Amino acid sequence: MDTNTLILEAKARFSHNSTKAYLKDKYNSKLIVAEQGGLWKVTPELIGFLASSTDEIVILIDSFENPVLVNRIALHDVLYKAYNDTMQLWYSEWKELESKR
Amino acid sequence: MTRGVLLFAFNSPKFNYYDMAVATAKRVNHFLNLPVTIVTNEESLPEVQSYTFDKVILAEADKTNKRTWGIWINKGRYRAFDLSPYDETLLLDTDYMINSSNLLKLFELPTDFCCHDNTSYLMAPNVEQEFLSTYSVKTLWATVIMFKKTSHTKQIFDCLEMVQNNYEHYANIHGFMPVLFRNDYALTLAVRIANGHMPLEEYVIPWNLLHIAKTVTVYSNNDDEFNTEYTAISEVTKRGKTRKEYMIVKDTDFHVLDKDNFMELIA
Repeated sequence: MDTNTLILEAKARFSHNSTKAYLKDKYNSKLIVAEQGGLWKVTPELIGFLASSTDEIVILIDSFENPVLVNRIALHDVLYKAYNDTMQLWYSEWKELESKR
Repeated sequence: MTRGVLLFAFNSPKFNYYDMAVATAKRVNHFLNLPVTIVTNEESLPEVQSYTFDKVILAEADKTNKRTWGIWINKGRYRAFDLSPYDETLLLDTDYMINSSNLLKLFELPTDFCCHDNTSYLMAPNVEQEFLSTYSVKTLWATVIMFKKTSHTKQIFDCLEMVQNNYEHYANIHGFMPVLFRNDYALTLAVRIANGHMPLEEYVIPWNLLHIAKTVTVYSNNDDEFNTEYTAISEVTKRGKTRKEYMIVKDTDFHVLDKDNFMELIA
């Protein structure tokens, strides 16, 4: 039996709350980036700081609470790409599932 | 430098862990492009082997652990350090369903050992994190472990052996039941001891381990061998009424607690 028939026969409703929680977990894991000897949780704030600073080298506290010396522009580019790629996938999967409402 | 996956698979009277390991190994090859070594015993090896592991390591099974459904051969995980033929190893439970290349990120983490300390349960968002007991520490999970062969990780696995051999003693100290040996509990204690009981941030995989609880049933959305899309169905009770809910899971690794459900998925 295919899953669509299964859902119909079980009269199961789509769970938006579970889906929302699952997607948050799924895509948060993709916002973890190991780069330049540190572990980074990619946030708009971190990207904003890297973009606004003017020094070539900066020292940041990573997710392990260690100070890490990084090349600002190189780290910014990696994190910015990770953020954009992840958010696009999160958004499109969310829109697809929201249409089941 | 070599990388690979290590699976422990000893058949029990109820479950064929060797078959689970074969299915998991195929998915490891497909999604992670890594070789797989299996640790098993003569009894578990089938007469005709449909899959060729990178290495097959025969080991004696410790049959002293018993669950309600029979013998559960889960002891001896501490041997992973010595038995792994790889410099960098992913040690996985055989019922871990790989649907992405996410685990490869573990090798890039600035650490030589990591495992999960946080879990999520699909369709059960309010399940709390597990502790060894009310008065003890948060549980680490042995479902997925990444380790590099260093003197420090050897200490962790040596501690794991010590905890296994003195499990009742540690159960008394930490206030959990010693009747059933759990690798998760032994690992929790071993990592803490090897780390001098200091905070464990650097030993923790920085995302949640996704469990599929026994109250949720997962179905493959197609018959492809390497399908990555599933429908999860669960019964939900609200205001005294029970109804079924479903959701779709895509490209996400998960750990299936119901072995029968896992066997259906790999069939």
